Amino acid sequence: MSTKVGIPKETFPRERRVAASPDTVQKLIKLGVEISIEAGAGVAAGFPDEVFAEAGAQIVPTAAALWGQADLILKVRPPSLAEIDMMKPGAALIGFFWPAQNKALIDRLAARKATVLAMDAVPRITRAQRMDALSAMANIAGYRAVLEAAGHFERFLPGQITAAGKVKPAQVLVLGAGVAGLAAIAAAKSLGAVVKAFDTRAAAREQVESLGGQFIPFDFKEEGEGQGGYAKEMSAAYLAAEQALIAGHAERSDIVISTALIPGKPAPVLLTSGAVVAMPHGAVIVDMAAEQGGNCPLTERDAVVEKYGVTIIGHTDLPSRMARQSSELYAMTIFNLTESLFPKEKGFTIDLEDEIHRGALILKDGALMWPPPPRPKPPAPAAPKVEAPKALGAGHGAGPAEKKKGIGGRVAGAVLVVLLTAAGLAGPPDFLQHLTVFLLACVVGWHVVWNVTPALHTPLMSVTNAISGIILVGGMVVLGSGAGAVANVLAAAAVLLAAINVAGGFLVTQRMLRMFRK
Amino acid sequence: MTVEFLGTLRGLSYLAAGMLFILSLRGLSTQESARRGNLLGTVGMGLAVIVTALVFLASVIGRDTSAPEAAAAAPTMAMGLLAAALIGGGAVGALLASRVAMTSMPELVAILHSFVGAAAVLVGIATYLQPSGIEEHRAVHLVEIYVGILVGAVTFSGSVVAFTKLRGIVGSRPLMLPGRHALNAAMVIGSIVLAAMFLQQPGADGLPYLLIMTGIALILGIHLVMAIGGGDMPVVVSLLNSYSGWAAAAAGFMLSNDLLIVTGALVGSSGAILSMIMCRAMNRSIWNVVFGGFGAPPKAAAKGDGAAAPAGKINETSVKEVAEQLLGSKNVIIVPGYGMAVAQAQHAVKDISSLLIEKGVNVRYAIHPVAGRLPGHMNVLLAEANVSYEIVKEMEEINEDFAHTDMVLVIGANDIVNPSALDDASSPIYGMPVLEVWKAARVIMLKRSMNAGYAGIDNPLTYRDNTYMLFGDARKSVTSLLTELRA
Repeated sequence: MSTKVGIPKETFPRERRVAASPDTVQKLIKLGVEISIEAGAGVAAGFPDEVFAEAGAQIVPTAAALWGQADLILKVRPPSLAEIDMMKPGAALIGFFWPAQNKALIDRLAARKATVLAMDAVPRITRAQRMDALSAMANIAGYRAVLEAAGHFERFLPGQITAAGKVKPAQVLVLGAGVAGLAAIAAAKSLGAVVKAFDTRAAAREQVESLGGQFIPFDFKEEGEGQGGYAKEMSAAYLAAEQALIAGHAERSDIVISTALIPGKPAPVLLTSGAVVAMPHGAVIVDMAAEQGGNCPLTERDAVVEKYGVTIIGHTDLPSRMARQSSELYAMTIFNLTESLFPKEKGFTIDLEDEIHRGALILKDGALMWPPPPRPKPPAPAAPKVEAPKALGAGHGAGPAEKKKGIGGRVAGAVLVVLLTAAGLAGPPDFLQHLTVFLLACVVGWHVVWNVTPALHTPLMSVTNAISGIILVGGMVVLGSGAGAVANVLAAAAVLLAAINVAGGFLVTQRMLRMFRK
Repeated sequence: MTVEFLGTLRGLSYLAAGMLFILSLRGLSTQESARRGNLLGTVGMGLAVIVTALVFLASVIGRDTSAPEAAAAAPTMAMGLLAAALIGGGAVGALLASRVAMTSMPELVAILHSFVGAAAVLVGIATYLQPSGIEEHRAVHLVEIYVGILVGAVTFSGSVVAFTKLRGIVGSRPLMLPGRHALNAAMVIGSIVLAAMFLQQPGADGLPYLLIMTGIALILGIHLVMAIGGGDMPVVVSLLNSYSGWAAAAAGFMLSNDLLIVTGALVGSSGAILSMIMCRAMNRSIWNVVFGGFGAPPKAAAKGDGAAAPAGKINETSVKEVAEQLLGSKNVIIVPGYGMAVAQAQHAVKDISSLLIEKGVNVRYAIHPVAGRLPGHMNVLLAEANVSYEIVKEMEEINEDFAHTDMVLVIGANDIVNPSALDDASSPIYGMPVLEVWKAARVIMLKRSMNAGYAGIDNPLTYRDNTYMLFGDARKSVTSLLTELRA
């Protein structure tokens, strides 16, 4: 019996997207599932029922019928309580879920023994980029935000010199250079505006500049990079300094697009009322954080208001304003995740060892699986790395391997203790002492080297090589202890070789290091 | 009085030297402190040698009090030998260090390791020949000597083989003897049996056993390193570095010298870590490198020639085209490999990058952790050519950026940009993180010919639609590219 996948019509106000496109319907059918779509689900996104029917989906007239029969529901927004009550017990659901904000939904779904995977909880690793619905939507929202602003901005964006006079290019300020911010920079730039962008992460500079934006740096002691590359919350002093800097730039900006979000927290206030008052008359603010309270206290959710001569746009449905595009992209990301849930020759399977499945999993047959066990891999504080942990060893099951190593280490430790005891009992009196010194030195060596930058591997090796020439001292000790002629010659040869090593090693390291420069 | 004073002085100096060595290694971990680190190491070594020499002089002069059964050898002979060895060795070392080209750095490091190994063997044999005062616990002392010589011999022959492989005197392909694991095991067991026999011998009569074991250990070292393929050479050099430390530590045990023990252990464990860091970068286990031989599975070899090879069409390009495209790019990443080192092209490459930067192109270098034949080899070469280390990025820092890059210049690199590491499970390098250059809009590969890389495997990158080949010697290509850019 093949899995029945159902795609309901979204019920959230102003939501126009749908979780499947005709294209992904065909792809889903190839996975060996049956697709049913609620009548009218895709109409707002530009996919009438006939198109879905042509692609092979079955059109189900009512929501109740669809929810009641589907084993797997693909959705955009989190389900409403009413929808959950229609759901077939034990069925699965994939969609945006925001588990931190939706505890009530989790409880209700748990009672239904449901399985839930959240698109917003898919870990941000390289392998999962094809399933990154957040980035796909943020990209659209950023683009759309610029268009919304341009629509309300009653002037040109590009600079022009016309017979009727000179027009200055619009000054656009983008707050937060995440995916949405970068998309906004690119869109504003291609409309001809002069774009500046602000982000607390110094690492964002390169990305901003690569899109032709001008980066506004912010020097303050705290580092703004947290787990998985999201900006994290800052202290009050930090925030004040940030607001002052932004106010200074906002004063000279015609359009401000603000995108700053902190996961699981209300959005930070970056654009104070004072900053808005100082902005030029006729300026436009698009507050993309409106859903999380807004980056500007004057923002009104889902409304366009005018305050102090500045238009403030608080739309929370930016992706839905390009429903066709966003449905196509969202459908692809949700398909990519779904595809990985249907391994070859098997039905719907969640692989708990898979970092992506584990990360996205909220409920499994009614049991709470969220949040997943932490995988603490933020980049080392010293190095200015950009989301470094993404690249390395993604999804190679680091967890279990490390556990094994731990056990191996304990066994090795036990063996070592036994051997040491034996050595202490049987060996000469100073042997144990030598062993102690030896082991301590091993531990020191172990710790000293871990933080070496890869660029210095060669010099490090060459210096340790020079230091291992300490065997020179061994040769000298033998030579000085009054041994026979043969032993003396051997020891002298050892000293000779070791001396080459010492002199060569240190000098060549020095030569190498002299070349490294900024 | 003097003897006591010297003993205290020696103890304190050894402590100081040990600490200096620790600080030296610590200093070498960042660019800012690296030079000071090297200086500290030098001072520590100088201190150790001078103090040991003082003790040596005192013992030679005051022979009749400190060593009752004075040997026949004249003290002056010992002094002469020491002076000659120290001065001669120092001079040779200094000469080597000042003459060596940066591209042959790997060979130099390998051969220097072999010296430490050889010295450990010699010290071990000399210690054995010298009459030992203590008869109690003689077995422990003999085991220390035995182990010291064993490790030293393996280090010595292994390093010599590594040297010849790096020099190209011996081919880089792994030598896969049938039953090589059994062979290694037999040699280890043989050494243990010999040890048992050796321990039975009174006085210096065990010498033949010791020498036979040395021979076996030499063969073991040769065999171990011969079985390791070219791609793993950086790890091997680093492992041998670790071995040379263990050899020194073993010598410390047999001579009851704490400085040797501390320093040897320090070098041994730090070398082991360096090897582990590198293995991690290649996503392989260290055991796989030590006993594996690179990419041994016969299944992969069989498949590699036929079905898996995506023998497709390749795109060729010209210097002129590349120059135009470079000037039209916003973001360029240069990926240097061993080919650049061989062709000594680093200076010309640097000139290209400076020229492009002047014209407002964002140029960066991407360094794979195992590019070249030593870890960090490329960094050394680029530093030699005055490339600012701030635009030289590690793989992890830059791998995500290839997707937003207009052009990638791959100069003499092959295996480290091989996409089959990610998507072809039959590839011997499957699972190794590589620089994902193919995500860039356009990739230019500078290559001498269509020959496979050091690991000896086909590279599907060359057949990609967005890959363009620029054939020829790296230095010539790069130089003519530079001329074209200036025109």
